[in-house]
Amino acid sequence: MNKPRDAGLSDTHFIRIDPERCEFLVPRWAFTDQAVLDKERAEIFSRCWLYVGHASEIPKPGDFVVRKVGGRQLFLWRGEDDQPRVYFNTCTHRGAIVCRERQGNAKRLTCPYHGWTYDTRGGMVEQPGASGFPDDFFANGAKDLKSPAKVDSYRDFVFVNFDPEAVDLKTYLAGAAEYLDVVADQGEHGMEVTPGEQAYSMRANWKLLYENSADGYHAITAHASYFDYLRATVGVFREDFNPHEVGGGGKSLGNGHAVIEYQAPWGRPVAQWVPQWGESGKEEVGRVKAELASRLGEQRADRIANWNRNILIFPNLIINDIMGLTIRTFQPINPGYLEVTAWSLAPRGEHQEMRAWRQYNFNEFLGPAGFATPDDVEMLELCQQAYQNMPEVGWNDISKGMNRPDNNQGDDEVQMRSFWIRWDELMGAARHEKV
Amino acid sequence: MSMLTRAEVEDFLYHEAALLDEWKTMEWAELFTEDGEYLVPPMELPNADKNEALFIINDDHHRLVQRAKRLTRRTAHVEFPHSKVRHAIHNVRILEQDESSLSVATNQVVYRAKRQNLDTFVCHVVYRLARTTDGLRIRSKRVMLDIDGLRPHGMISAIL
Repeated sequence: MNKPRDAGLSDTHFIRIDPERCEFLVPRWAFTDQAVLDKERAEIFSRCWLYVGHASEIPKPGDFVVRKVGGRQLFLWRGEDDQPRVYFNTCTHRGAIVCRERQGNAKRLTCPYHGWTYDTRGGMVEQPGASGFPDDFFANGAKDLKSPAKVDSYRDFVFVNFDPEAVDLKTYLAGAAEYLDVVADQGEHGMEVTPGEQAYSMRANWKLLYENSADGYHAITAHASYFDYLRATVGVFREDFNPHEVGGGGKSLGNGHAVIEYQAPWGRPVAQWVPQWGESGKEEVGRVKAELASRLGEQRADRIANWNRNILIFPNLIINDIMGLTIRTFQPINPGYLEVTAWSLAPRGEHQEMRAWRQYNFNEFLGPAGFATPDDVEMLELCQQAYQNMPEVGWNDISKGMNRPDNNQGDDEVQMRSFWIRWDELMGAARHEKV
Repeated sequence: MSMLTRAEVEDFLYHEAALLDEWKTMEWAELFTEDGEYLVPPMELPNADKNEALFIINDDHHRLVQRAKRLTRRTAHVEFPHSKVRHAIHNVRILEQDESSLSVATNQVVYRAKRQNLDTFVCHVVYRLARTTDGLRIRSKRVMLDIDGLRPHGMISAIL
């Protein structure tokens, strides 16, 4: 194993913080070591609240979607009583996958192996050859579908927690809840996930994507070709935008969650107009902005309309409220490989012209064939491959901005430090210092 | 104008494939009409509307030219240095044609090799082609992926 000999898994500090030098170091073997991932599965993915899906994805009773979450196979199924529920996608008999389509609608699901059948409340309702079992064998839910220890939702974002001792979802979300409110408040009639899922992957450790998702520092170099594209495209910038005054910055939101918030140079379907969208777009954006102001007040409407937010919810949910609105979650498969799934979130009932711009915008920067994400994938894969230079070159540096703790800029690395401190805490290290 | 044969259409598609395999992306972009588009719909919804669903690629003419240009730059990091790309085209069928346009369905497999990885994209590609005085031009190229997620590919960095 390629790691320093003094770096034990249980009794040594993973990260090194030197407040005097304003230095924050993360060991590179945290990205490559199977034993670290095993411990992460136990201490993070089995104890934290994990995102499963959005209630709008299962609008009608019987609707379901299947998901891989935290190394488990789950599905989200709306009951005939209209309650969304989450089940482990496994028959209680011999374990086969019960819900075999990626999404659909069913009043009952039958295991294809021996025909055990469940209703939308997870209840075992039928099985062939019942005479081979005692009368009360299936009583009291003994063989019903199993659910994660805790299932809860916040503003239609559905989460699970596999730990019965976990704190409740709202407490867990801490300062991130307010940012989910900012997102959820954008739709006059609520929010919905649009059709079309982007399922992709990276040959990199999952923590690299968490870091990258709110890393303002890499934009100028890694995404230089995206800025070239913007310069070649007429009317994509807000006319009064001053790139030297984007304001905002990064901050920790507690429990490992973090955000960077800054002024948006580009068009936002909710609700900032750019000349590319023409006069009809201007009219619609104006209407959306006025509706926001009347419902939420001028100040909150301005914040929603003119500011971007990259929201990091520990450990694996990213909501980027930028030129579009993304929900992105990712699962570690092995230390050097992760799977991403991403969706576009939009106000329910959005005007078709704004919906078209929203999706067009999303594809411009984001997604596995956008003008930026493939370069991010490349960067993460370059990091992952180069971590083979251990033990000789063993530490990552994420110190930027530690010399100005009260004035974090958008290209500082406070959001990563916030992640790593929480990660370190959960992974069992005793050390815990202020970022 | 007489109707085009499948062999003539194939020659055009093979030319397109050769440009892409040789990374002559700007010449590829010139194959499109001024209102041309290049689309990759969501894998599970191949017939989706680009104005409603979240596509993987949703390029109008401006953006497909910019995509082509980006891939000529060193700062398109993901394709610098360029990966090896090979397009194989099969099952070419002219679905319909008249004097000015035709619609063509093909099966395609695109291979991309980089850093000891080989990614395979299995595609059903439907073209709407225009017959112009300069020869055939692409009005729409819609690449429908017959894979269940971009895994382990991770992304589509080359042009399919």
